[in-house]
Amino acid sequence: MPQRRSPLRILSWLGLLLVLLVSIQQLPVGQQLNLGMAPLLTALQAPGRWWQEASLWLHERSQLQTDYQQATARLEKQSVLTQEVRSLREENRQLRALLDIQQITGYHWHAAKVQGRSPDKMSRRLILLVQNAAPDDVIVSSDGLVGLVDHSKPGSAVVRTILDAAIAVPVTMPDRVLAVLVRGQGDRLMVDFVPIENAPKPGSILQTSGAGGIFPAGIPVARITKVEPIPGQVFAKVDAEPVAHWQRESWLAIASATERSAQ
Amino acid sequence: MTAPYILLLSLLGLMFNLALAGLVIQPDWAAALLLAAMLAQRGNWVWALPGFWAHDLVLHWSSLVCLPVAVLIPFFLAKADERLGPGLPQRILLMFAGLFPLLWFGWSFSQWLLTLMVCTCAWYFIVHPDVKPA
Repeated sequence: MPQRRSPLRILSWLGLLLVLLVSIQQLPVGQQLNLGMAPLLTALQAPGRWWQEASLWLHERSQLQTDYQQATARLEKQSVLTQEVRSLREENRQLRALLDIQQITGYHWHAAKVQGRSPDKMSRRLILLVQNAAPDDVIVSSDGLVGLVDHSKPGSAVVRTILDAAIAVPVTMPDRVLAVLVRGQGDRLMVDFVPIENAPKPGSILQTSGAGGIFPAGIPVARITKVEPIPGQVFAKVDAEPVAHWQRESWLAIASATERSAQ
Repeated sequence: MTAPYILLLSLLGLMFNLALAGLVIQPDWAAALLLAAMLAQRGNWVWALPGFWAHDLVLHWSSLVCLPVAVLIPFFLAKADERLGPGLPQRILLMFAGLFPLLWFGWSFSQWLLTLMVCTCAWYFIVHPDVKPA
């Protein structure tokens, strides 16, 4: 006769398992596993890279010459632009000094290649191929803020994007007295503590305020999609979407605080 | 002998999911294979559940995505088989239930549908190991 297990015993085992899982939830096991898998992902992507390199190698010579001429012309234009940017930057510095506005300084910028991303449709987490990244380094795309480095090891880093509920970004609007928080909701963003009388219109762009010292000020973060006043409450319900699109970007920028880098 | 193959394929699937996300629409390979293994043979939960745990940690940085439902599958399957007799309907229902959390955790409907298809095919080939794919 097979011995029947009592439901109480099964339930207690399930309860124990749940407690174990919830306590493990606090440890960065997933992040460490992702970092450990980084070399395997590089190996998996190797055929794609070889194909890209081989197609470059086999590129027709005439096409290469045309590309070279175009690149030279572009470089000349670029150097003129660089000169212009330098003079504008200097002018900007002087104007900011006159107006007593803080410079966005104290960050060291470098580039990182996207090696992997979580397979959910919004890619809430990324794996980057990067040297010398540290936790809390800020990740930015050409459009706006992407997220924060969660864990890193030499050669790679894992990133939580702003869609992750664990990240809250202090934001503001350039022409308004507004200090609010943007929080991730998985597939959209929520803007907290927006007073009804001061609520921005749909389509407005929120940018980092620099409060808290983690995010550099002035980076676009979110575009307001919906503003809904809640009767009897001080704050409006405000939904937003990220300005940056990192789902298909191959390269992203990292801003490391120079103080943290020095440490 | 199925366990090492399924676990190895699941690991490969996890790597594909991470490395090629954003480039192509792909199913959740690991969840499909592990669930198929559990549906094919109830006793496979011994190694499939740790696989689900690893799957959740690697792809979602959390233990509470597919694992909580997967833990209940062998239990419900045993109960259902005992009451109704071993059969397909309860397994099909549990296949849907096992993959449902993916929709909740941000996977698109097309990815979910692909996962369902991969799971069905894998389930068939685990039950009939002698059948060669065409």
